[in-house]
Amino acid sequence: MTPELSLPIQTAWLIPLYGFIGMLVSLPWACGWFRRDAHRPAAYLNILLTLLAFAHGSLILQEVYQSGPVDLAFPWLSVADLELNISFSLSLTNLVALELITGLSLLSQVYSLGYMDKEWALARFFALLGFFEGAMSGVVLSDSLFQSYFLLEMLTLSTYLLVGFWYAQPLVVTAARDAFLTKRVGDVLLLMGVVALCSYSGVMGFNDLYAWAAQDTLSPLAATLLGLGLVAGPTGKCAQFPMHLWLDEAMEGPNPASILRNSVVVTCGAIVLLKVMPILQLSPIAIGVMLVIGSISAIGGSLVALAQVDIKRTLSYSTTAHMGLVFIAIALQIPVLALLLLFTHAVSKALLSMSIGGVIASTNCQDITELGGLGSRMPATTTAFLVGGAGLVGFLPLGGFLALAQSIELLSVRSVPFMAVFLLTNALTAMGLVRVFRHVFMGDSLIKSRRAAEVNWQMAFPMVALTVIVLITPLLLVRLESLDGLLAFPLWAAALVVGSGLLGLLAGAVLPLSKAWSRSLNPVLRWWQDLLAYDFYTERFYRLTIVNVVAGFSRLASWFDRNVVDGLLNGVARFSLASADSLKLSVSGQSQSYVLTVLLAIVLFLTAVSWFLT
Amino acid sequence: MLLSLLLLIPFLGALALILWPGSPSSARLRDVSIVLLVVQCLASFALLLPFDAADAGLQLVEQARWVHAIGLDYALALDGLSLPLVLMNGVLCLVAAIASRTIENRPRVYFALLLVISGAVNGAFLAQNLLLFFLFYELELIPLWMLIAVWGGANRAYAATKFLIVTAVSGVLILGAFLGIAFVTGTMDFSLRPILAGELGMTPQLVLMGALLIGFGIKIPLFPFHTWLPDAHTEASTPVSVLLAGVLLKLGTYGLLRFCLGLFPDAWQVAAPWLAGWAAISVLYGSLAAIAQTDMKRMVAYSSVGHMGYVLLAAAAATPLGLMGALFQMVSHGLISGVLFLVVGVVYAQTGTRDLNVLRGLLNPQRGLPLTGSLMIIGVMASAGIPGMAGFISEFLIFRGSLQPFPLATLLSMVGSGLTAVYFLLLVNRAFFGRLAIAPGEVVNPRILNRVALREQAPAIALSLVVLVLGLAPELLSNLSEAATTGLSLITGDLS
Repeated sequence: MTPELSLPIQTAWLIPLYGFIGMLVSLPWACGWFRRDAHRPAAYLNILLTLLAFAHGSLILQEVYQSGPVDLAFPWLSVADLELNISFSLSLTNLVALELITGLSLLSQVYSLGYMDKEWALARFFALLGFFEGAMSGVVLSDSLFQSYFLLEMLTLSTYLLVGFWYAQPLVVTAARDAFLTKRVGDVLLLMGVVALCSYSGVMGFNDLYAWAAQDTLSPLAATLLGLGLVAGPTGKCAQFPMHLWLDEAMEGPNPASILRNSVVVTCGAIVLLKVMPILQLSPIAIGVMLVIGSISAIGGSLVALAQVDIKRTLSYSTTAHMGLVFIAIALQIPVLALLLLFTHAVSKALLSMSIGGVIASTNCQDITELGGLGSRMPATTTAFLVGGAGLVGFLPLGGFLALAQSIELLSVRSVPFMAVFLLTNALTAMGLVRVFRHVFMGDSLIKSRRAAEVNWQMAFPMVALTVIVLITPLLLVRLESLDGLLAFPLWAAALVVGSGLLGLLAGAVLPLSKAWSRSLNPVLRWWQDLLAYDFYTERFYRLTIVNVVAGFSRLASWFDRNVVDGLLNGVARFSLASADSLKLSVSGQSQSYVLTVLLAIVLFLTAVSWFLT
Repeated sequence: MLLSLLLLIPFLGALALILWPGSPSSARLRDVSIVLLVVQCLASFALLLPFDAADAGLQLVEQARWVHAIGLDYALALDGLSLPLVLMNGVLCLVAAIASRTIENRPRVYFALLLVISGAVNGAFLAQNLLLFFLFYELELIPLWMLIAVWGGANRAYAATKFLIVTAVSGVLILGAFLGIAFVTGTMDFSLRPILAGELGMTPQLVLMGALLIGFGIKIPLFPFHTWLPDAHTEASTPVSVLLAGVLLKLGTYGLLRFCLGLFPDAWQVAAPWLAGWAAISVLYGSLAAIAQTDMKRMVAYSSVGHMGYVLLAAAAATPLGLMGALFQMVSHGLISGVLFLVVGVVYAQTGTRDLNVLRGLLNPQRGLPLTGSLMIIGVMASAGIPGMAGFISEFLIFRGSLQPFPLATLLSMVGSGLTAVYFLLLVNRAFFGRLAIAPGEVVNPRILNRVALREQAPAIALSLVVLVLGLAPELLSNLSEAATTGLSLITGDLS
């Protein structure tokens, strides 16, 4: 660390703290210590702190953009042979991700003011958002695997609390539970990987780990297990198959948190995966698993999204699908591509989530078959959906198009089959979005959407702002030097992307939507529809397998405890009582016999002791 | 003199309470014992001033001849292993006294017994003579038995008797082993050097160590010697549960480190792979059994079985890092289970039940227990090893310190750590989420629960804060004890 670092960089450690401080300052309101006023001051303080984090990040970004990346490290814990640091890597990529997180957090907090207008626990909500934001900011800036793990787990906790925000509703209870436990499974596997890495390499900083991995001293088996452990954590965080269930259930939580979850939380998981990528190279099997997971999630997720009737679930499955593409990009060692996909996905998906949040807020309905004709009633919301959708799929000049065209070009030289996965996912996503659009915004007004009006300004403002951001995303991307090859893709790649998007658009446009059709009478079609609507029956599969096994073992342990272990103890007690009862009959009252017994016992004891001790 | 003060304050205090003239009210007695325990707690923290953390040896030694003929001498000393435990004893005994709000039945005896326990535990952690340790170890037994048997729940007689008998067996085994050691070495002084291979064959070493292992294993408790613990916890009142989980179980793990590992390093090394396996079984068994529990206190009790298994795992590995993790786990488990038992106690006092089949929606802001629920979430998350709290640090240190010697046992124990999240999440989800209900079918109009005053929650809040502080700044604790745990470890060379 050089002494001439500027003040913003020297104080970079503050950035994750802004969010945590926001949580702390909200506590007095959240605990109800100020009874008379509403919770607004807590909300404003949090927004202010997020603004500060964003501004601070911008200053650092500017400086790093001009004079190169900086690393900061502070010693934290040193015991025996273990050295743990708090370390930040202020690189361009990390800072862009940070700005994405704080920026989207800022927008969705303003959005929350409108969406959560009448919420009684507004301060608690903002406290949790602050916690959420702090953990995410720390994850993207982290320069050590330990720190990343530390903050990812905090993210698990805050996801649990945010999903469980409306804890009195039965669906929320199961959603929060599943969100926590699914992520926790991934986290425990990741912890195994982290502990193993720490034991074998003795270091935790990413750069030290890369150096260690380059020496390649592990056996193939150890490397594979290690790789799988490291992949498992992000698989849970990014809602990838088979740990994807939580994201769609998590939609029971408040929408502003869903905006963040669908866009930047999954990004955090992917960024951690990106950071461990050089270590994963040790294990071809782990790479293969990532490719399989990514492909299944991409195609499966976009298929399942087609069959959902809950407007939020259509989006969450498409998030799973896009993260699948990111997994493929990371597995194929194309970090630029992964980042490009992550960035364009995050802004577009956040905008889509805001838009459907507007729909939900003004109709109080999430079922797309009961909505219709909102296009003319909610112009800003409709525009947001259109722009968000266009930014996500390969629509000509927007971010999604650039990312996908770039992917096709890069994949064509590495692995042609995955080109098909990308194009198929793009087509299916386009089809799904068109389906939702037709259901919700086109057609006749149905009963539930007849009285809908445009959202209030607190929601409209961030929505419009983000619409503009999605529109200028291509310009932002071109300005970042590291991505200057952005426009260097051949025409055929562009044609393929646009073509697949158009195909999806057409398919979605001609898809019959009659309401009677929402569950088909044709048995074959219905079977497919149910398969997708119930997410390939994954939940039922889990209930029959893992949940049953754990529950069975726990019942067995409990039974064993009551009857065998405790039963044995009680049996010994009863036996000694019974033998005492019968022994009392042998008491003769003659002192000689007592002395004899005592002597015999002593002799026996001493013999035993001396036999052992010699 | 400072160390003797830690014994004199509680013992003389107990005597004073017994001899207190007239018939003082329960509140008055509680105030007096709180003052005494505050003084004792301050005296414990005063130890930090003369204590030299860089010194791995015994410090502040105090010696006097006592019943020298049978080898019983008065010898106290402090090192990095006992200091954190003495501090924790000071804090938790104070918390227990503060939490004893509603003692109407013979309060004089109750508070006197509380003080005796606190002094005896201090004595056991500080004793430097095998017989003296044993004396204190047994001295704490009787008051605890009475605290359960007199002030316990409905089935207290069964639980108390079981506790007494089982723990007495533990005492007999330990005494037998100590006598065996004295027989071999000719001294009861336990500044004594470890018993080395040349001195005694491996079989007798293993026998002596085995007796100690089972003796302390009952106290810790480890599977299959654990069944007294859930019963004792269920019947004990809240403050007694706090003491039992927080302080008394630690006597077992302390003995494990100090006597089994410390006195028989060679035999320990031979037995270590088996011990690691035993630890993994204990962890998994405790966690699985906890999932099936419907009584909140039993669930927390079984979680103790699992979490104490980590200590055995780390002790088996006996790496410097692992032993630091073991000590960290003792402290964090003491604090976290303190929070959990206090919170469960509030729930029980307010609703009259701890049954997870009937409790629902206690987080309800108007009629439920929102602050209690929030503390419960903090407690269970700390116990499940969420970073930012002390439990995570100890688990990470233990796993990192044990993975290389015993990879399989460590990985299985990590699965146990995942299971902790399962049962505690079920607890929170069942009892605190959902619609408020306290009895079966009572969803429509449950009775309104009393507001719990903030000061009643103060002990749990304070303990939670300590858990957070230790989780964010673990060096506060690790710096105190690093020299001692490194000195105890079997691997003296550097690992890297």
